[in-house]
Amino acid sequence: MQFTASKQTENCLLGPESDSQRTLYPYVTGTSVVALKYKDGILMAADMGGSYGSTLRYKSVERMKPIGKHSLLGASGEISDFQEILKYLDELILYDNMWDDGNSLGPKEVHNYLTRVMYNRRNKFNPLWNSLVLGGVKRGEKYLGTVSMIGVNFEDNHVATGFGNHLARPILRQEWHENLSFEDGVKLLEKCMRVLLYRDRSAINKLQIAKITEEGVTISQPYSLKTYWEFSAFENPTQGAVGSW
Amino acid sequence: MFRNQYDTDVTTWSPAGRLFQVEYAMEAVKQGSAAIGLRSKTHVVLGCVNKANSELSSHQKKIFKVDDHIGVAIAGLTADGRVLSRYMRNECINYNFTYESPLPVGRLVVQLADKAQVCTQRSWKRPYGVGLLVAGLDESGAHLYYNCPSGNYFEYQAFAIGSRSQAAKTYLERRFENLADSSRDDLVKDALMAIREALQGETLKSSICTVAVVGVGEPFHILDQETVQQMINAFEIVGEQEGPAAEPDAAAGQEAAAEQGGSTDEGVAPMDI
Repeated sequence: MQFTASKQTENCLLGPESDSQRTLYPYVTGTSVVALKYKDGILMAADMGGSYGSTLRYKSVERMKPIGKHSLLGASGEISDFQEILKYLDELILYDNMWDDGNSLGPKEVHNYLTRVMYNRRNKFNPLWNSLVLGGVKRGEKYLGTVSMIGVNFEDNHVATGFGNHLARPILRQEWHENLSFEDGVKLLEKCMRVLLYRDRSAINKLQIAKITEEGVTISQPYSLKTYWEFSAFENPTQGAVGSW
Repeated sequence: MFRNQYDTDVTTWSPAGRLFQVEYAMEAVKQGSAAIGLRSKTHVVLGCVNKANSELSSHQKKIFKVDDHIGVAIAGLTADGRVLSRYMRNECINYNFTYESPLPVGRLVVQLADKAQVCTQRSWKRPYGVGLLVAGLDESGAHLYYNCPSGNYFEYQAFAIGSRSQAAKTYLERRFENLADSSRDDLVKDALMAIREALQGETLKSSICTVAVVGVGEPFHILDQETVQQMINAFEIVGEQEGPAAEPDAAAGQEAAAEQGGSTDEGVAPMDI
């Protein structure tokens, strides 16, 4: 007979100590990543912020990294999980290079590998708390895909994570077209990032834009966007609102 | 090859530095019926001699599709070959599931070779008694590899294994320099000629051989018996026009299914050109 309520009865799916072994909530997080296909390859943008809850704590976090010769990975969500993923991919690329046989993993292969990893972790109730954007060019073919923390994956001409889905994708749906030039692509991404800067509270004004083409990866130096706060609607924002003072 | 006191165990070296069990396994390959392979820059053709034990029985399957872009022809202990084909199919499927991309044939043959090597270094195992001609595509084009029981693998422009393969090899040696730019049909024709050499005088017909093709834009498949017989007939006529050695074009017979249809080859009329 049991007189003491045990943790077991509340949480029958897993053992008593296992909660400390799996991810329950994210701690240091990155916000949106936005990416699009352009004439020569893929352009991707992400700011350099790492938030600790509501505090904008870290301001020099690189959330985009090159993977092998042909791919670029951008991540939002838990930064430590992103670092873990980079370790997995490092090992994957290393073994791929060790074959030394003229074959190499392209962006499609890396994307599918990541999908398998994310989905399998989700099935074990221990997710990697990230939304990933994987872009690349191999043999002239451009590839852009995304994977979420529950393993949802798809490819498209433009993708975004987090708030970017709600604020940037509509802009891209209107203004993206095939064969954008580099300058137009950057302008379009900056437009999206500016909206995110105004409206996403975890965005900071320090971003990088990364480009991947057949030649390789270039990640820009961090820079900031010009913003305008003198709109009359921003002065006295609660004027006329019901129940405010 | 004589029996000696160092050949009982695969893990025993001879004083001359040989592993006799491994060498005996290679002998098993030489006893199997012939298999040949040849490649151009874009296509690879596999062929084999497929003789049934008796009129009542069916052929043994010696060519296996491993994936859309890889196939294998075996010579030797066909049961070992079947098991290795299953391993290869598994590896291809697993790679495709993880990476949504075909497993490069160069990597598959290395995995296969490593698997064979393990059996040469465990006292409780024996080497696989089968030679495999692996035909496949990867990023750098079409490839033909030969995997032997010793765990070695080699890449070839053209090769033949099994009994009476030397005759086929001689033919291929004469032809291999031109193979790289061959068209797909010429490649199949050369395969049939090589099979005919391995038959040494026996009439070549589609019921006693099998031919399979894989290439850029063409998934691995075994040619059906009629197609093969037609090609044989075409060569036959050309052969008569050219003069000596009326060679039966090696018909790539199909396995099993071919056998049932094979008995009608007497009634097949030469194809009109």
